[in-house]
Amino acid sequence: MNQLNTSRKIEVKEGISLKPDQGYLEETISPFTPFTAMEEASRCLLCHDAPCSTACPADTNPGDFIRAIRFRNFKGAAEIIRENNILGGICGRVCPFEKTCEGACVKTGIDKPIQIGRLQRFATDYEKATGFQVLEPAELTKDKVAMIGGGPASLAAAAALAKEGYPVTIFEEREKPGGVLTYGIVPARLPQYVVDEEIDYVRSLGVEFVCNTRVGRDISLDDLRKQGFKAILAGAGMQKSIKLDIPGKDLQGITTAMEYLSKAKTTKGNIHPGKYVVVIGCGDVAMDCAITARLLGAEKVTIMYRRTREEAPANRAELLYCESLGINFLFTFTPVEFVGEEGKVKSVRGAGSRDNSSIEVQADMAIYAIGQRPQDLSSILPEISFDDKFYIMSDGSGNTSADDIFVAGDIDFNSNKTVVHAVAAGKKAAASIKKYLEERGGN
Amino acid sequence: MAKHTDLSIDFLGVKCENPFFLSSSPVSSGYDQCVKFLEAGGGGIVFKTITTDLPDECSPRFDATRKEGLPFVGFKNMEQTSDKPLEENLEALKRLKQEFPNKVLIASIMGMDEDDWTKLARDVTACGVDMIECNFSCPQMTSEGMGSDVGASPDLIESFTKAVVKGTHLPVLAKMTPNIEKMEEPAKVAMNAGAHGIAAINTIKSITNIDFDKFTCLPVVNGKSSISGYSGKAVKPIALRFVAQMKQDPELADVPISAMGGIETWEDAAEFIMLGAENLQFTTSVMQYGYRIVEDMISGLSLYLAEKGFNSLRELVGIALKNIIPAEEIERDFKVQPKINYDTCIGCGRCYISCFDGAHQAISWNEEERRPEILEDKCVGCQLCLLVCPVWDCITPGKILFKDQSQLGKGSKSVFTEDAPNARRLKVGEYNRP
Repeated sequence: MNQLNTSRKIEVKEGISLKPDQGYLEETISPFTPFTAMEEASRCLLCHDAPCSTACPADTNPGDFIRAIRFRNFKGAAEIIRENNILGGICGRVCPFEKTCEGACVKTGIDKPIQIGRLQRFATDYEKATGFQVLEPAELTKDKVAMIGGGPASLAAAAALAKEGYPVTIFEEREKPGGVLTYGIVPARLPQYVVDEEIDYVRSLGVEFVCNTRVGRDISLDDLRKQGFKAILAGAGMQKSIKLDIPGKDLQGITTAMEYLSKAKTTKGNIHPGKYVVVIGCGDVAMDCAITARLLGAEKVTIMYRRTREEAPANRAELLYCESLGINFLFTFTPVEFVGEEGKVKSVRGAGSRDNSSIEVQADMAIYAIGQRPQDLSSILPEISFDDKFYIMSDGSGNTSADDIFVAGDIDFNSNKTVVHAVAAGKKAAASIKKYLEERGGN
Repeated sequence: MAKHTDLSIDFLGVKCENPFFLSSSPVSSGYDQCVKFLEAGGGGIVFKTITTDLPDECSPRFDATRKEGLPFVGFKNMEQTSDKPLEENLEALKRLKQEFPNKVLIASIMGMDEDDWTKLARDVTACGVDMIECNFSCPQMTSEGMGSDVGASPDLIESFTKAVVKGTHLPVLAKMTPNIEKMEEPAKVAMNAGAHGIAAINTIKSITNIDFDKFTCLPVVNGKSSISGYSGKAVKPIALRFVAQMKQDPELADVPISAMGGIETWEDAAEFIMLGAENLQFTTSVMQYGYRIVEDMISGLSLYLAEKGFNSLRELVGIALKNIIPAEEIERDFKVQPKINYDTCIGCGRCYISCFDGAHQAISWNEEERRPEILEDKCVGCQLCLLVCPVWDCITPGKILFKDQSQLGKGSKSVFTEDAPNARRLKVGEYNRP
């Protein structure tokens, strides 16, 4: 933690400063105050055609909510966000802004984009702090809908349907809903209380959660239909981590990103993070693993990635944040062997992917963060089509090959694998479900 | 070092090393404060208004208006006159004058009746101050017949000015209230009663904000509040107008003016001088930023004078007055249409929105290319688009079109042409954006 022992904040990105004593459970980016939010909102050009709004996959409508903040209508801003995006506070923290709204921001033509994510967070925090709640529960008198998996896609779909008067039950195999929000993303980016609050928001609309219940094991598809669920949404994510088939793969101390992150999150950081940690991969999940390891006290964290920095899929902001934490990056190296001693991993050997270099990095912990795949649900949902990697085939609007089964989230082969896209897909699937239920003439 | 023009200027026969003075207010109420300002380079001080009876003050006593992220667009103040005993104030004046003989010290006074005004004038004169300012204009006095009540009453101005002149041989400034329609009349009364110059403007009676829970204005003093004086950048345009109107009145044209109202930068200061002021005062900007701002006023103004080739500050005094004319004399036979630099245009569409919603629907929006396009036949040359464009130097004055005599009085139906014979006499198209 030596690099962190400085008395001043380290500027990572405009407005993003790393606290010298950043804790694992502490959010990295400080919130706006009404003063700083006004200052930032008044930087906004209030463009005629608001390309930021066009660029938001979930239609959160930054053009309108920034204008609301600019004209001191903070509650109105929260209303705009919430009505379009039930997970507004979460998206305001974890969205890949540089690829969405901020990437489209016209202010970039003058200097730098408006910090839209932080403004969004300001508005949703304001809603919470003032005890204001935009969405009121509707009377749930229509057909029952079941959802498999309690991740962001299901949460967004459930909220959209509950607002329309459909009773929704979410079946979640783990102890808590939220999926990647609860078990994946590092608290430095997304504190758990934000996730819990927004799940409570969904619950307040009348959505029921049945946790510790796995569809296919604890309850079958037929059971759901017998219980009167007229439509079923498969909102599952990708639980299976991709691993490498290289020598030493069975050594102790080798784990997957999902296991590592979820253990750290559920124990509030009470894990052995490893002293010399090697993270394989360079996406946002790899960043989360590296940040977790570093903030929990790992002495040296190395990211090994087979391509270059420019090709890395991680958000630039996250990458810069990792660099500021003193995390090492080894680009263009592919792991070729885990070297062990007494059954435990002691180093990772890498080979240059673009040249003949070779390297051996000390490691008592190695983490796979090279992607996830969905679990095979084909036996649970036999009526619908899957591709060869167990993604569910869909029409892009959540419809599958079975009339009453819909899909949203990362298990959809159309998915873009981000939270904001999951929200967008959830809303789309909800619209398809509503259309289906209306057309079949139920309630 | 770059060339600087000396800023010294005589005011009411007293040599001032520069025109920058603290105004009578919380920033000039004590010896230590005044020393700090003079050491920072200020030319002089109007010491906070001295009275015989001491006021009781409320808490809190200030409020500020903000705009977006900007603090102190305007400032509201409920404080009255000096809360220090007369003897202490007189002692401070004596010491300041002894220790800073080359700085200019003005005593601001406010009496309760004629005798009190005369006595106070005698007291401060005995301290060796350079001039006296009569506070006829504080809008938040708690006693009747004091403050702006005086400034709005020609009879009181006359009798109190005479009372002050009776008590001193020093130059006397009468400080005017802006809470009237025309300042020329009370200024003339004060001058005819023996004053030597005018100070303007005092603060404007105001309500800045309403508390949304307690339903009174700010600052809230145990659930209640009062109307009181407004100052700061927001009042500058009003202060400039009062000063210009006094200087343009033939009877007041030669009256020396110490001007104030929203001076924060050397540019604000220069504006008052160009309208005829010879001395400047400020408080609100100091309350926000401290005395050090005078350093930038001095440096900025002297560099500007040097750049423009002025050899003394005096050359700038009143230079703009002749160019401020009645609306009926403004030429109305041409229009300057904007031109858009597409290399710098970022496509925000603000000019399009403002032109459609707030002007003459003379800009169309090219949705595909995300750019505004000027419709020449509709553009009246109001140049609102220049003002709203957020990009430096993107929209600038462009083509100039004229209408001849036959087209005058036709309003929006006037026909303009590009090559009117009088094109050469025009001094338009100069672009000076602050």
